[in-house]
Amino acid sequence: MSSTVCPRLSPAGSATSRLLVGFRKWYYNACGFNKLGLMRDDTINEDSDVKEAIRRLPEQVYNDRMFRLKRALDLSMKQQILPKDQWTKYEEDVYYLEPYLEEVIHERKEKEEWAKN
Amino acid sequence: MAFILETLFTHTECFSQRRCYAAARRSEALTEPLVSKLPSGLLVASLENYSPVSKIGLFVKAGSRFETAENLGVTHILRLASNLTTKGASAFRICQGLEAAGASLSVTSSREHMVYSLDCLRDDFDGVIEYLINVTTAPDFRPWELSDLQPRVRIDKAVADQSPQIGVLEKLHEAAYKNALSNSLYCPDHMLGKISVDHLQQFFANNYTSARMALVGLGVSHAALKQVGEQFFSTRAGAGAAGAKAVYRGGELRVQSGGGLVHALLACEGAAAGSAEANAFSVLQRLLGAGPHIKRGSNITSKLSQGIAKATAQPFDATAFSATYSDSGLFGVYVISQADSAREVINAAMAQVTAVAEGRLTADDLTRAKTQLKTDYLMSLESSEALLEELGVQVLSSGAYSSPQSVIQNIDSVTSGDLVKSQASRFSSKILRLCSEDE
Repeated sequence: MSSTVCPRLSPAGSATSRLLVGFRKWYYNACGFNKLGLMRDDTINEDSDVKEAIRRLPEQVYNDRMFRLKRALDLSMKQQILPKDQWTKYEEDVYYLEPYLEEVIHERKEKEEWAKN
Repeated sequence: MAFILETLFTHTECFSQRRCYAAARRSEALTEPLVSKLPSGLLVASLENYSPVSKIGLFVKAGSRFETAENLGVTHILRLASNLTTKGASAFRICQGLEAAGASLSVTSSREHMVYSLDCLRDDFDGVIEYLINVTTAPDFRPWELSDLQPRVRIDKAVADQSPQIGVLEKLHEAAYKNALSNSLYCPDHMLGKISVDHLQQFFANNYTSARMALVGLGVSHAALKQVGEQFFSTRAGAGAAGAKAVYRGGELRVQSGGGLVHALLACEGAAAGSAEANAFSVLQRLLGAGPHIKRGSNITSKLSQGIAKATAQPFDATAFSATYSDSGLFGVYVISQADSAREVINAAMAQVTAVAEGRLTADDLTRAKTQLKTDYLMSLESSEALLEELGVQVLSSGAYSSPQSVIQNIDSVTSGDLVKSQASRFSSKILRLCSEDE
């Protein structure tokens, strides 16, 4: 569910943007990971860039991530989901890994660019 | 004899045939260092030596004396953190950019100053100066880069532990001063891993302000350096936190480490840099003996060596030790001896010092010491690193540069009366301190 898929062209409050937000919310809930109490960045595929970004997380954020993953693994083992009031809401989802990941990718690209010349 | 005469004649013949005309000397004015103070408080000094290589140094009053009890060791980390990511360039870019230009950036820190020096080809000045600017004005202390720095801190400390000389000097300052100058250049054990981003940012904000910096260049034009200073180094206003005045206290510190050699440093309070007595102490240091002038020689001119040689037949080494800081100084003797002859050696060394204090020195000794001091000073200015350091430290501490000629004159004006007076006032207060280390 990336924010780059549908760039917001119309000003906030107009009919199209409300439609987009509605679609996004529906898609977010349809994905289903929020029922296990996860955030979007908890589910990201761990390649080498992501691993480095996770290494750079501040301690508190990292601990929260580990807790959510543990809880989700436990629930999936028991074939259960959280009660509805504990599902992660669309508005509460924080893309905590994104700034670190961008930085890591930028650094890697810089190294590759330098190696080319 | 006949052979030599013959060769002389052949040489003169040779000259008349070759007609060597010496080129008339074009009188090029030897350049003097230019010093200017910018409105922000930044001092800019440069010396145009027409060299193809430029050497730029940024001197900051951010040595280990400005550490407080909460952030001991922060200067050690800052010293190692100079190549980390900055707001303008990543660590990778700094390293590769400097290497691509063949330049080098190094950091040295003393108890008073932090010195960032950049060497590059003269033509590359514009491209490479941005790295110095980034490192000294806009570092981005990233927590993960700092934690990656911990092994380097440990290696530094391990290397320093191997050298007893460094250990004795650190312990000397620890014992001699109550605050400020007693801080070690290395991160203390209890602070390893505890220096956080906040510590670094706070120290940086307090000490890296324009009024505490001096931008010095060799082989650059003064105008170019001033422009860089105005544009980039004048953004951080404020005088920063004033350092505490160093308070001298006597004391004794012994470190047992097992082994056959004793390193002992006995010192008393000396003179602050730039004061009239500082020159007297330097001359005194040369008088007593400050290192051999001939390798593996018998150190005839050193009074200490000669005095101690009469007291013991075992190997030893002794030099007079002198250190000057902006508000204080240390002067004494550093003696290395075998463990069982330590007592005789140290007594003999102190006997020599008291002999000079009582005025038992000849005029020859005094002139010799003065000549040695002058030569050492002038020889050191021949190398560009020492010249840059001398220029930077002088400009930062006094705001102006005194030429070698005036320094030489000051040295010449030291009389034996000065020496006796300075000695008497210090040694009579009997604050002696001994740091010995059984190696």
